[in-house]
Amino acid sequence: MADDILFELLHSEIINYALDQSKSNDDAAKKEVDLSNVEYIGFAAGYKVMERLTREWPRFKDELDTMKFICTDFWTCIYKKQIDNLRTNHQGVYVLQDNSFRFLTSFSNGQQYLEYAPRYVAYTCGLIRGGLANLSLNSVVTAEVQAMPSCKFHIHVQRT
Amino acid sequence: MIIFCVVGSTESIFGVTIMAVCVAVIGKDNSPLYIGGVGNDTSTDNELSRQWLVHTALDALEERLASTNNSNTSSGSNAARTDLRDLYLGLLYSTDTHKIYGYVTNTRIKLVLVTNSASPSGNNIRDAEVRTALRRLHSLYADAICNPFHLPGDQITSAKFDKQVKNLMANNI
Repeated sequence: MADDILFELLHSEIINYALDQSKSNDDAAKKEVDLSNVEYIGFAAGYKVMERLTREWPRFKDELDTMKFICTDFWTCIYKKQIDNLRTNHQGVYVLQDNSFRFLTSFSNGQQYLEYAPRYVAYTCGLIRGGLANLSLNSVVTAEVQAMPSCKFHIHVQRT
Repeated sequence: MIIFCVVGSTESIFGVTIMAVCVAVIGKDNSPLYIGGVGNDTSTDNELSRQWLVHTALDALEERLASTNNSNTSSGSNAARTDLRDLYLGLLYSTDTHKIYGYVTNTRIKLVLVTNSASPSGNNIRDAEVRTALRRLHSLYADAICNPFHLPGDQITSAKFDKQVKNLMANNI
């Protein structure tokens, strides 16, 4: 589908742009790249899209119900597949595992691009965080990539 | 049937039934994002009474929400409402002159619709009609939010949204 490709290309261009920006900002030999902008773009998008996606849904019972929504409908809407595995410790930590994360599937499955993988998950972290924020769950979302097309998102819900 | 009305007055224009008086969109923190009424009067008095009507309903709305969260404890009072997870909360509050209906989205945005309680024809306002109106308001809200210039939590100033809501009030209810 053409619109999927557009989203993917736009996403990778946003990352390239953010990398350029962060390079010109600190010319020092900093190896760390600044992707907070990309994360923020994701946050804003997630926040807004949530209003639309939950429109036809009954009210969520609890936090787990909300997470299930993220794993199924939210993910299907954006990545055309569901999350493969959801784990929780029932204390506000959730691990979402996607065995073939869409932004990583076009790369080599070996070690070659593993070091660049974090760039391609920043947007999605923001997307999840924004979506949850609109459902009044403040959270910290991080991602880890161990073997290439699979990716784990750690969601830590902040309780006050 | 086209229905027009002015808050604070029981007289109808064109001699038609008065029904939807005003609708409001209330944000997560109970701050009003949008309050609109039918009739082109923007005098302070009417604006005030709209605000007052909507805000008196908020307590009832919160109560209804709290009782849906621990659903089993209050089965008696909410027996009429079959689905506790429904976004539509039904009639919140009624006074001599007005009836106030509520709807809360999953994102904690509260939609409030105020109608006149007495309809001259003697017919009661049907629940299904209010439900439909609030659902349509929800869609309109979701569209308005997707405007890239709109920041979450800001008042809705979109003229298009205003026009659509007024259409909804005039035609649907």
